[in-house]
Amino acid sequence: MASVRTEALTKRFGSITALRDVSLEIADGEFFAVLGPPGAGKTTLLRTIIGLETPDGGDVFVDEERITETYPGDRDIAIMFQNLALYPDKTVYGNLAFPLKQARVPRREIRRRIEETAVKLHIERLLERKPAKLSGGERQRVALGRALVREPRAMLLDEPLSALDALLRLEMRSELKRLQRDLGRTLIYVTHDQVEAMTMPDRVAVLREGEVQQVGRPEEIYHRPSSHFVASVIGSPPMNLIPAVVESANGRLRVVHDQFVVEALAPVERLSAGGSCYIGIRPEDVHLSSGEGFAGRVYATEPLGGETVVDVTIGGRIIKLITAGASGLSQDAPVRVTFDASRLHLFDADGTTVLSSAGDGSLLRVKDAGRT
Amino acid sequence: MRSRSVSLRGVGRLLAIVLVGAGFLAPLYWMVTMSFKPQAEWNPIGQTIWFPHHPTLDNFRNILGLTSQNTVFFQANSTDASGPIVHSLIAATGGTLIALFIGVLAAYGIARFRAGGRMLPFQILQLRMFPPVAIIIPLLIMMSYLHLVDTYPGLWLVYGAVTFPFVVWLMRSFFQDLPREIGEAAIVDGCTQWGALFKAILPNVKGGLAATALFVFILNWSDFLIALVLTQQNVVTAPVFLNSLQSAGAGQEYGPQAALGLILILPPAILGLVIQRYLVRGLTFGAIKR
Ligand SMILES: Nc1ncnc2c1ncn2[C@@H]1O[C@H](COP(=O)(O)OP(=O)(O)OP(=O)(O)O)[C@@H](O)[C@H]1O
Ligand SMILES: [Mg+2]
Repeated sequence: MASVRTEALTKRFGSITALRDVSLEIADGEFFAVLGPPGAGKTTLLRTIIGLETPDGGDVFVDEERITETYPGDRDIAIMFQNLALYPDKTVYGNLAFPLKQARVPRREIRRRIEETAVKLHIERLLERKPAKLSGGERQRVALGRALVREPRAMLLDEPLSALDALLRLEMRSELKRLQRDLGRTLIYVTHDQVEAMTMPDRVAVLREGEVQQVGRPEEIYHRPSSHFVASVIGSPPMNLIPAVVESANGRLRVVHDQFVVEALAPVERLSAGGSCYIGIRPEDVHLSSGEGFAGRVYATEPLGGETVVDVTIGGRIIKLITAGASGLSQDAPVRVTFDASRLHLFDADGTTVLSSAGDGSLLRVKDAGRT
Repeated sequence: MRSRSVSLRGVGRLLAIVLVGAGFLAPLYWMVTMSFKPQAEWNPIGQTIWFPHHPTLDNFRNILGLTSQNTVFFQANSTDASGPIVHSLIAATGGTLIALFIGVLAAYGIARFRAGGRMLPFQILQLRMFPPVAIIIPLLIMMSYLHLVDTYPGLWLVYGAVTFPFVVWLMRSFFQDLPREIGEAAIVDGCTQWGALFKAILPNVKGGLAATALFVFILNWSDFLIALVLTQQNVVTAPVFLNSLQSAGAGQEYGPQAALGLILILPPAILGLVIQRYLVRGLTFGAIKR
C-alpha cells in the first residue's frame, strides 16, 4: 500500500497533447477515480503512472519515491487494462499465477494466494478454464484477480466495468467498492461513467483534453463544479445551462433572461455588465409547481418508473427536470416550474464557475422577468 | 428450360474442374505409378503403361539402399539416396531455424517498436524480388573465401538469409494481431522484454509460428539451385541427388527418381499433419481478426 503522486505530468503523441501538467495526489488506501470523456487522456495517465509510456515532462512518485524511470515490472503497481489483456493461452489459474511466478513466489504460496483471490472474486470454479471460454463478466473478474493476487502497492483499473451489461455493472460496482474497502488498497479507477464516479470513489479527478479540471469528493464536484464542463460530466441527466446577459445594478448583479431574472444578493466578482454568462441548474433542482413559477409547455416525458424526466420548453429553450413517480403530463401540456435558488450556478462566458449557491439560499434570488 | 440451362452449366463446370484437376494431378499420378513399376515398364517404346503390370517395391529398396546389390546396372553411380535425404534434413532444418530465429525477432521488433522505420519491412521484402540465381555466383565466391563451400554452415547461412524475409512478413502480421497489452501485461507482471516475448507472446502465436516454420522448411527442403552450386560431395541434398539419377545404360532412372520424389513429399506432409491443428488458423496469415 502506498500513496501515489504525479507532478506536472505531460505526455505528447506527435501534435496531440494527451496529458498536460497533470498533478494529482492520491493518498494511501484511497479509492481515486479519474473521470473524463473518450480521448481525455485517462488511459495515457494510467500508462504513464505504471511506466508503459515515458512522460515528456513531470514525475511519478510512489510513497515519495521517484519512479519516473523505474522499469514497469519493478514498480510494484498492477494494472487492469481496458481490453483486459488476459493471456489467451493460459488457464485462469495460469493467468493468476503468472505475476507470482515472475516474482519467484514458492508454488505452495502461489496456490494459496490464488485460492484466496478466487474466493474473493467468486471465480473458484473457473480456474481450469481458458479465457476464451469465459463470459464477459467472468473475464473481468479474472483480470481483476490477476491485478489483486500480486498484492501490489497500488492498483490501476482502466474502465473495468465498461464492457459489462447494465445489471452486472451495477452488481460489480458495489462489489468493487466493498472489495477496495476491505483490502484498503490504493486504487486509481478510470471511468467515463459519471454514475461510477459519483458512487464509488473517495475522490474524483475530472480530466478534459489532458488537463485536470477539478479534483474533489464526488458530492463536492456535484455541488461546486469548477466549470460547466465539470457540471455537465457529473449528474444525469446533465445540468441545464441557460444563456443569459449580465446587467450590473448597484454593485450587485442581475442576470437577465427573457423569462426570468437571477439576482445576486451580495456583490459578485468576475462578471462585467453587458457580458454574457450561463445559469446552471440541475434537473433535480427544477420543480413542477401548481401556482407560482415560469410558464412553459411539456416537450417530452421520459418515465423511468420511480421518477420521470420532463422536458419543458420555456422561452424557446428546453429545460429538463426530474419529478418523482409518473408525471401524468401529456405532450404540450402547459406547466409551471420553479427553480430552487439555493441550487443555482453561475458561469462566465468561458464556462468557469463564478458562483455556486450549493445549498445556501442567501446568495441568489430568482424572479419572473415580467414582474421586475 | 431454365433448369436445363442451369444443369448444363453445372455439367460444364464439373467438366472444367475435372480437366483442370486432371492436369494438375497427372504428374503426381505419373510419379506414384512410376515408383511402383519394374524397370521394363518405365519407358517401353511404343507403349503407354497406365498402371504397373508387375508392381514392385524395388525402386524404394534401391533408393533407400536396402538392397546389397543396389545397382542393377553396370555403372558406378549408386541409387542409394538415404545419405542425401539425411543431408537434406540437416540442411533444411538448420536453415529454417536460422530464418526463424532472426525473422521472429526482427518481426517482433518491427511490429512492436517500429524498429528500422516504416520502410524496413519493404526493404526486407525486396530481398526476395530478384531471382536467387542472379547472386549465386558472387555468393559462391564469398562462400569459398569463408571456406564454407560444401559445408552445412554454408547452406544454413544462405537458406536462412533467403527465407527469413518470409518469416518477417508472416510473423509480423501475427504479432500485430495480438493486442499489444498482452506483452505489456507480462512486463508489468515482472517479465523482461525477452521474457514477455517468450512467455506471453510467442505462446499465443504458436499457430502462426508453426505455419511459418513449415512454409520455410518446404522452401529450404525443395531448394535445388543453391545446393547445386554451393555443394559438391560432402553435402549432397536430395534434390541435387535426384537430378543426378541417370546412367549411360538406362538413361533417366525413372523408377528410382519417382520413388525418391514420393519420399521427398513425406517430411513436409508429416510435419503438416503434426502441426495441423495450428495450421488452419495460421494459414489464414492474419487475414481473420478476432
Ligand atoms: N500511442 C498513441 N499514439 C498516438 N496518439 C495516442 C496514443 N495513445 C493515445 N493517443 C491519443 O491521446 C489522446 C488520449 O488518449 P487516451 O487513450 O489516453 O484517452 P482515454 O481518455 O483513455 O479515452 P477512452 O475513454 O476512449 O479510452 C487521444 O487523443 C489519443 O488519440
Ligand atoms: Mg482509455
